[in-house]
Amino acid sequence: MSALAIENLVVNRTGIPVVRGVNLIAKAGEISVLLGSNGAGKTTLLEGISGVIPASGRIALDGADLTRSLAGHRARAGLSHVEQGRTVFGEMTTEENLRVALHPSASLDQAYALFPELVQRRTVLAGMLSGGEQQMLVIARSLVGLPKVVLIDEMSAGLAPVVVGRLMSAVRKLADSGVAVVLVEQFAALALAIGNRAYVLRRGQMVFEGGCAELAKDPARLHHLYLGDAGETGAEETRQHA
Amino acid sequence: MNSLLTPAVAGLSAGGAYAILGVCAIFTYRLVAVVNFTGAAIGAAGTFVMVALTEHGMPLFPAVIIGILAGALVGVMIGGVMTKWFSGASATTKAAVTAALLVGIIALGLRLTGGQRPHLFPDLVSGSAFRFAGVEVTWGSLLTVTLAVGLTIASDLFLARTRTGLQMRALSERPMAAELIGIRVRVLALAVWGIMGAVTAFAMMIIAPLRSPDFMSLSLLVVPALAAALIGAFRSFRAALLGGVLIGIVEGMVSALEFGARFRGVVPFLVILIVLLWSQRGARWDAAR
Repeated sequence: MSALAIENLVVNRTGIPVVRGVNLIAKAGEISVLLGSNGAGKTTLLEGISGVIPASGRIALDGADLTRSLAGHRARAGLSHVEQGRTVFGEMTTEENLRVALHPSASLDQAYALFPELVQRRTVLAGMLSGGEQQMLVIARSLVGLPKVVLIDEMSAGLAPVVVGRLMSAVRKLADSGVAVVLVEQFAALALAIGNRAYVLRRGQMVFEGGCAELAKDPARLHHLYLGDAGETGAEETRQHA
Repeated sequence: MNSLLTPAVAGLSAGGAYAILGVCAIFTYRLVAVVNFTGAAIGAAGTFVMVALTEHGMPLFPAVIIGILAGALVGVMIGGVMTKWFSGASATTKAAVTAALLVGIIALGLRLTGGQRPHLFPDLVSGSAFRFAGVEVTWGSLLTVTLAVGLTIASDLFLARTRTGLQMRALSERPMAAELIGIRVRVLALAVWGIMGAVTAFAMMIIAPLRSPDFMSLSLLVVPALAAALIGAFRSFRAALLGGVLIGIVEGMVSALEFGARFRGVVPFLVILIVLLWSQRGARWDAAR
C-alpha cells in the first residue's frame, strides 16, 4: 500500500507554476528517488508536499487527505521533511535537538543506533557539529518523530563523498525499517543504487517513472531525461527569445 | 548612610517590578523574536480591569484573578496580530509594529479609563515585613523581588528542562523547521504572549499604587523594563533581574536627593544610553583607530 500518494499537484512560486500536475507514489519500506536538473522543481515539489508552500491537487497520507492541512498538522500526521541546508537548532545540544522531536513511543536509542557517531557528540551544541554530523542529526531528528514518510532534500550538498556514502546507507536502513522515503539527490548514481522507484522531473513536470535499477543501467537515457532533447530545447529557447 | 538606604530599599518594589517586566521582555524576545513595546501596556490593561472591578464593589481577590486573566487575554490578542500578520517579518518591523500598537493601546486605554481621572489602586499587600539596618522593608518590596527571582529561576529551568521549553527554543531559532517537526508553532507563540500578559499584569498591580494612577504612566514602564532587558542583552534572565532591581534602587536614591526627585524618570534612559554605548565600544574604538 502506498504511504504517500500525490495526484495532479501544482505548486506556484510568486504566482508562477513551478510544479505542474505531478503524480508521485511513495510506498512503505521503499525509497523513491526524485531526480532532475537544477531548477526542475524538486525542492518546490517537496515543499508543496510538506506544506511549506501551498499546493493544489491531492496529497494523501495512508489514504487521509492532507492537501488543505498546515505543515505542522502534516508533520504530526507522519509526514516528515528534512529540508536542504541542514536545519539543526544550532543553539541546542545534539540531544536536545533529538528530544524536541521525540515521539512519546520513540526512544533516543533509535537515533543513536542509526548514527552511533552522534553518541559522543550528544552534549555538543548542534551549531558546532561538522556538516556531516549536522546532516546525520536532522535525519535522526526526523526518525525519532516516528514518521510514516520522510522527504529528504539534497542531503549530500557540500559533504565529503565518504560522508555521503554513510548517509546513503543510513537512509536505506531507515526505509528498511518500514518508512517510505522520498529522496531528492544530486548524486544520481548513488541515489539510484539505494532506491527502489525513480522519478525524473523536468521543468516542473514528471517525465519518467520507473524502477531505479532500470534507470541506473542506462546513463544515456538518464542524461536525456535530465536535459530533454537538445535540439528541441534549443529551438524552444530560440522561440522564447524571439 | 540611612538617608540613602531608606529610599534605596523603597526602590526595591519598583526594581522588582522592573525586573519582572524585563524578564518578560527577554522571554518574549527569545521565544517569539519580538522586542515588545506593549508589555507594560498589556499589564496596565489587566490592572485597570482589576481597578474597575474593585471600584464596582467586587472583592479584591477575584478582581485580581480576573485582572490577571484580562492581561493574558490582551497578551494573546496582541500575539494573535503578531503571529497572524507579522510572523515572517524582520525584527525591526515587529518592534515597529509593537511600538505602533503601544500608541494605540495607550489612546484606547486613556479613553476607556477616563484619561487623567484618578483611580484608587488597592494595595495587594501592605505593611512592613521586617526592619533591616533600621529601615522598614515592606511586604510589597519583598513580594516583587521574590516574584522576580522566582520568575527568573523558573524561566531558566523551564527553557532548559521541559519539553515545552525545548519546543519554544526551537520555535525561536527556526520557526519553519520547528513546524516541520510537528511543533504547534502558533499555539506556543500565543501561549508565550498569554503567559507574559498574565505575569506582567500581576507585577503592575503590585507597583501601580506607587505610580501615577493613569493608564499612560503605567504603560510607559516599558522603558525601565526594556532597560533591564538591555542589561541582560535580551538573553540573560539573571542579568535582567539584577539590572531591573538596580534601576529601581538607583531611582529610589535619586528621588531622595534634593535636586534629583524630578529626574527620577531619567534613570532608565541613562541606563539604556550607557548600555548601548558600552555594547558599541568595540566598533567605536576600531573606528577611532
